[in-house]
Amino acid sequence: MVTSGPGARPRARRRRSWLGLAFVAPALLVFIVFLGVPLAQSLWYSLWHWDGFSTATWAGLSNYTALLHDDGLRTSFGHAGVLVIFYAVLPVTIALGLTAILSRSIRLRGVGVFRTLLFLPQVIASVVVASTWVAIYSPNGLVNQLLRAVGLGSFARAWLGDFTFALPAIGFIGTWLGIGLCLVLFLSGVSSIDTEVFEAARLDGAGIFTEFRAITLPALRGQIVVALTLTVIGAIKTFDLVYVTTRGGPGGSTTVPAYEAYSKAFQQREVGQAAAIAVVLTALILLVSVVINRFNPKDDG
Amino acid sequence: MKISRLEAGFNYAVLSLFTISALLPLVGVVLSALTPRAEATGGLAIPSSLAWSNFKAAWAEGHFTVYMRSSVIVTVAVVALTVALASAAGYGFARLDFPGSTPLFFLLLIGLMLPAEAFIIPLYYNLRGMGLTNTYWGLIAPQVAQSLAFGTFWMRNNFKQFPTSIIEAARLDGASEWRLMWQVALPALRPAVLTMCLLLGMWTWNEFLIPLVMVTDESLRTAPLGMAFFQGRRSTDYALLAAGGMIVAAPVVIAYAFAQKHFVRGMLGGASR
Amino acid sequence: MKAVHLSRVLAVGVVGALGLTACAPGSGSSKPAASSSSAVSKDVAGAGDVTLTVWDVNVEGSGNDTQEALNKAFTDKYPNVTIKRVARTFADIKTTLGLALDSADAPDVVQANQGYPDMGTFVSGNLLRPLNDYSTLYGWDTTFPAGQLAINTFSSDGKTWQKGNLYGVSQTGEIVGVYYNKKLLDQAGATVPTTLPELEAAMAKVKAAGILPLSFGNSEGWPGIHEFGVVQSATAGADAVKGLVTGSGGKWTDDATVAAATTLQSWASNGYLTPDSGGVAPDAARDAFTKGQAAFYISGTWNAAPVAEALGTDAGFTVLSPKGTTTPTSTGGIGLAWAMSTASKHPDVAAAYIDWVTNADAELAMLKSGNLAAVVPSGYTPTPGVQADVVDYWNKVNAADSLTPYLDYTTTTFYDTITSNVQELVAQRITPQAFTQALQADADKFAAGK
Repeated sequence: MVTSGPGARPRARRRRSWLGLAFVAPALLVFIVFLGVPLAQSLWYSLWHWDGFSTATWAGLSNYTALLHDDGLRTSFGHAGVLVIFYAVLPVTIALGLTAILSRSIRLRGVGVFRTLLFLPQVIASVVVASTWVAIYSPNGLVNQLLRAVGLGSFARAWLGDFTFALPAIGFIGTWLGIGLCLVLFLSGVSSIDTEVFEAARLDGAGIFTEFRAITLPALRGQIVVALTLTVIGAIKTFDLVYVTTRGGPGGSTTVPAYEAYSKAFQQREVGQAAAIAVVLTALILLVSVVINRFNPKDDG
Repeated sequence: MKISRLEAGFNYAVLSLFTISALLPLVGVVLSALTPRAEATGGLAIPSSLAWSNFKAAWAEGHFTVYMRSSVIVTVAVVALTVALASAAGYGFARLDFPGSTPLFFLLLIGLMLPAEAFIIPLYYNLRGMGLTNTYWGLIAPQVAQSLAFGTFWMRNNFKQFPTSIIEAARLDGASEWRLMWQVALPALRPAVLTMCLLLGMWTWNEFLIPLVMVTDESLRTAPLGMAFFQGRRSTDYALLAAGGMIVAAPVVIAYAFAQKHFVRGMLGGASR
Repeated sequence: MKAVHLSRVLAVGVVGALGLTACAPGSGSSKPAASSSSAVSKDVAGAGDVTLTVWDVNVEGSGNDTQEALNKAFTDKYPNVTIKRVARTFADIKTTLGLALDSADAPDVVQANQGYPDMGTFVSGNLLRPLNDYSTLYGWDTTFPAGQLAINTFSSDGKTWQKGNLYGVSQTGEIVGVYYNKKLLDQAGATVPTTLPELEAAMAKVKAAGILPLSFGNSEGWPGIHEFGVVQSATAGADAVKGLVTGSGGKWTDDATVAAATTLQSWASNGYLTPDSGGVAPDAARDAFTKGQAAFYISGTWNAAPVAEALGTDAGFTVLSPKGTTTPTSTGGIGLAWAMSTASKHPDVAAAYIDWVTNADAELAMLKSGNLAAVVPSGYTPTPGVQADVVDYWNKVNAADSLTPYLDYTTTTFYDTITSNVQELVAQRITPQAFTQALQADADKFAAGK
């Protein structure tokens, strides 16, 4: 027990100080045992060659250099980059464009209904979403139906089995999900802008572009940061969609790091290599979070 | 602000267009699920007759009695445990001063950004060593740990915003910190706790990777996991798959229908697990 | 939500990670050594109340019904035994069996895929129990042909296939061959092929008649192994393919294998295969054939029952012979091995069950339900049509020892390598040469690591 200290803080406060730890300890313990320790172990595992059964042999950094040399692994990270465009860049851009159009009518009656419906796909399990899109992309699915209906039947194909189009097809599922999320996010941001600002701008003769650039965009900075954080991370760690739709195929045209980590760890039994992929994937996600959040206007601790 | 009728009409049109495109795939699922099995080709078509029996068939052939029960058990357990642990921890961080509080809080916050891939490989071997793979605890414990980062952060913020005067008054009355948290602060924060429960419930219900790795036993498979294997088994039976998908999605969608404000508010705050 | 200095969060994380000390992964694990030292017995009734967990792949139609009946008969005979059956598709088993065997409550009896990726890995991980003692006890070593036993045999370190301990026995026989629709062949004026050139000629006629020649759905990758295997067996012959798969001779880049790749690729460019086969589900390809939408369908004899059921005597089954021979030669072997986990607490009961589902009565039941038994009891008269063809060819390939192993047995990573490369080959994204080089590279890497 500490019996003396600088200043004259009341005793009661000091007594409570250890009580606080008691409140926090159970949560911390669970967190450390089931998440913190395994996280550190991932780093450790990544330095070994291990098949999951026998004693491991030291690998040094070779599991990491393999990420640079192995075409398959390198490609999987490239695919994650492509998915960022589909999951994050496209939805944010499209949703911003829509927001520019809609920004002045945010108090339209019934916007709440649109918001509820637009947001609905966000709450549906990704496995179910994937299963839905497998049907949409199937030879007689919605996409090919539409193509045939407009006389473009020659473009119809089995989208998820096509080397060129399978990855964009998966990406488009992310775009579909992302637009709803971003639009709802931005519309809620716009609704907090004082309408008089828009009115004043209009009286000054500002067009829709000026209005967007000068008023809407700056006001939405926080929302854009949140949207980018969620969608970019979602793209980089894509797993469920790939697992259900293509399992990385055809060929290796839709492999992504998270799927490779899973498949190496639990199917091919290259546990060390899998851990290295997981570590790099995690580092990438943390890095992206840090970089994106630098633009957060409210990021002041 | 007044906008012209023309502009309002145009805006409604744009909103409707995007809402329809957001809903079209889901409408397709509902239609497929009601299409007689022999007719369903995976495309968008109005069924010739409504085959409600698809749901019964999907439920039986997809083994959803077992899968849904697992999902309910795991989801309820994860939410209950996380609420208890995160409330205590959130109160500790927000209202009690103790040595190491700041670094420990930051330690927890790392969890907000971690993908499951970051820890699942060693975790699998650890849990296997403890004999916890292929048990409900193997599904529950990792997901509680994963939920604690958001849960603690959320509860800490809410406890911080709780009026200090009320806490101080109760303290002067001699209430213990434990009672302050459970009987004074938490009841007043019911809406925030509800939001957290709904979000955690949704994430847990929808989780795929952890059950995929941690359980192989049929009786422990959760609904999304069962759905993925059902998809593999009946890859071209589009009507049955659509019905199965609706069964798996239904609990969360129903919760969303009744409490959509909680979901939207929580997720727009940037919450993710 | 993210209103926190992330860099500080990261700093804490790094400090936490540095505080870590550990030893080599796996060094602490101590698995019981696989020993079959204790005396083995046929006694089941005296084993007390036993629950046997069994994983099998007989999920479909008649195979499922037969398996259920066999299980019921077993528990009727031994009321002290309860069978907890887990029926899973091949793809499902492929994903989960390793994890399941590796857990504390592993199933007692499992159907394991042969070859290095599955059985070899499980053996090296000490997850399967050697069954030599039970083989002697139940006489499996004499019931089953030596070639079949060899496929289920591995060295105890899992590194050498077809040598060492027996790890399972199989219930069904399998030939991957060419199903055909007689009606459609007649319509196109084509005849039943018995060689590769004849098959190509028939497909050309069928195509000219406006019918899809070969129904192929390869979205899951494994049908590609069968498609390519059938062609390669016909171009290279049984001995060459066996040499490649067992690593005992030859190279994947040899002319005959390049020719096989060239042939398969030309089928795609000639429009003989289902378009966009890489995106067509295997089930969908089978459905197309059984609905009369294609003249040919390459698949295993496990599809004999559904094909016969849908097309009756319109359907037939043929196996191609290599150039200049009349020896039907094709990919095939035996169904997944019924094996026992090291973790099983009731090896005597598990062995009795394995014997039960693979003995002569079980084989007869499998045949009667339209499936192909590993050992066809002498004197059995098959149903005319597909099954008669299948049993006839099964006897021929066994007599001539001309079955070639599944190509994915080759190395631990070969399944992934060949499935993705066949998809690339069929999509015209790689040349036949590059295809064979990719396969050889995988074989080289495996040989170097042994």
